[in-house]
Formats: sequence, C-alpha cells, structure tokens
Amino acid sequence: MSIRVTKQFSDNNVEEIIDVDVTPVMNMFIILIPFLISMAVFTQMSILSFSVPPDAGSGLDQSNGKPKLKMTIVVTNEYLAITHGEKMLDSIPIFDNNLTKNILLEKLKTRRNEIGEQNEVVIAVRDVVKFQNMVRVMDSCRSAGFQKIGLSSATADASRGV
Amino acid sequence: MITVSKRNPGNAERSSTFKPQLTSLVDVMTILLVFLIKSFSAEGNLITPSGDLKLPDSQSQECVRLINSIKITRGNICTDDKVIADIRNIEHSDSMMIPELYSVLSTNKKYNGKTELMIESDRDTPFEIIKKVMYTCSQAGKTDFTILVLREE
Repeated sequence: MSIRVTKQFSDNNVEEIIDVDVTPVMNMFIILIPFLISMAVFTQMSILSFSVPPDAGSGLDQSNGKPKLKMTIVVTNEYLAITHGEKMLDSIPIFDNNLTKNILLEKLKTRRNEIGEQNEVVIAVRDVVKFQNMVRVMDSCRSAGFQKIGLSSATADASRGV
Repeated sequence: MITVSKRNPGNAERSSTFKPQLTSLVDVMTILLVFLIKSFSAEGNLITPSGDLKLPDSQSQECVRLINSIKITRGNICTDDKVIADIRNIEHSDSMMIPELYSVLSTNKKYNGKTELMIESDRDTPFEIIKKVMYTCSQAGKTDFTILVLREE
C-alpha cells in the first residue's frame, strides 16, 4: 500500500512515494477474524413459553365461584375465531399470513380492552394446523398483551365432540 | 515486500523488489471484520438445532435457556439425539399416549424431578403430533413447556 505525495518546490515538482506498512494491521486482522468467527452467531434463537390450560391461571372466579371465562382463539387452516365463553367475538379468514396476523393483533387488542384487560388466553388448535401457524397466533397474543398462554386442542365438530 | 535475486550470466547479482498490493485484501478484511462484529455474541449458541428440522419463526425475544428438550423432526421423535419413535406410527395411532416417549421421560434420570421441557419441532409438523407429545409429557409430570423458535429480525 503506497501513498503518492507531490511536493511543490519553487523550481520543479518532485513526486515522492511513501510506503505505509500494513503488516501490523494485517496481523491484527488475522488474530481478530478467527476469534470473531468462533463467537459469531448466525441464527438468533429464542423461546416461547406456554402451559396446558389448567396451569394457565386460576380456574375459578373469586366473586361467584364459577369457572373464570377466558378468551379463546380457535385456530384452523381456513379461519381464526376469537371466542369468550360461548360467545363468538370475531372470525378472521386466513388468506395471507402477514395480513391475518395484523388483523388478529388489532382484534385481540380491541377485545382485550372490552373484556377487562385479561392476561390469560387459550389457543385451541385443530389437529391439521401446522406448527408455524400456531406459533404465529401465539406471537400475536404476546404482542396484544396476554402474558399467560394456554394451549388446547380444538375439535372439528364441537357439537358432535369430534 | 518480497526481495528476489536475479542471476544473469554476464552481469553481477542484481536484486529487484516486488510489492504485493494489499489494498484489496485489507478492504476484504475490513468488511469481514464489520460483519463478524455485528454477529458477535458473547454467549455463543447455547443450543444447536437438529439439521433435519426447520424451526418456526417468531417475534419472541426471550433468551434461550438450557432445558431438557424433545426434538420432533420430519420423521422421528428424538431425545438426546436418539430416535425413540416414528412419526408415521404416531399419526396412525388412535392413542394419545406415546409409550416409548413416556418410558424415556419416566425412567431417564435426566428428566426426573423437572417439570420444564423444551419442544424443538419442525415448522410443518401438524398439531396432532405436538398434542400427543404434550399429552405424554404431561402424563410424565412435565407441565411447563417452551418452544424453540428462530427469532425474526
């Protein structure tokens, strides 16, 4: 590596080449790069915690002794349904994963405020649903403010129990 | 800098100097250094996922902890890199219990007395398999589950 320097004298131009010694820089690179390669993480991983429904929260309402109603999200391959007890609150058709996720997030935030800032939600998943879709719904629940997530199985035909 | 001596028959020994151009090499090293510093992690990778499973993407920021884990790959269920059950047999079974998994969880000392378990599953695994694994684990006393996911940027 050289730097060309031109010095202006009164009578003529004199060109002088200064050599920069890069050997120490190269030595530093050669030591640093193997160290950094050994400590580099190319895929960032994290974990998602959940419980089976009985451990998701206290089961009984303290005021009347009846089971506490929790918001439930039914996950199928065709739609997502938000229910509270026997009441169907929303139904979101699945056509684009990102769009559906955003719609679900908005609906969950709205419904969570309406039913009194609950921190628990149950995700009921049909047998044929892929694991990735279930994780997306869990993400939306976390983003909407639900701290405790319970996982359960959804029957294809609830009236017949299958 | 490399000094090379050329011997000519008629003349005395004459030396010439080759100066290798290191500019491009230093440029490459600098780019590499910046990239590696960006992906540097003081903790390193605590868990290396199995090669035959593709973990689901998630926005979760919860840090990975070392917990006992079960791997659900595209073809098998494994613990400690040992295949313990075939996915096709589980799919065709009407029972919710996976006997092979239950016997590992209840007899292996590593799993005794701990209620927490991590599930490393392929993103395309149907919930039916996850449900049966979770049911078997809960029968073996494991009630707190975590899922290993790839963090979305």
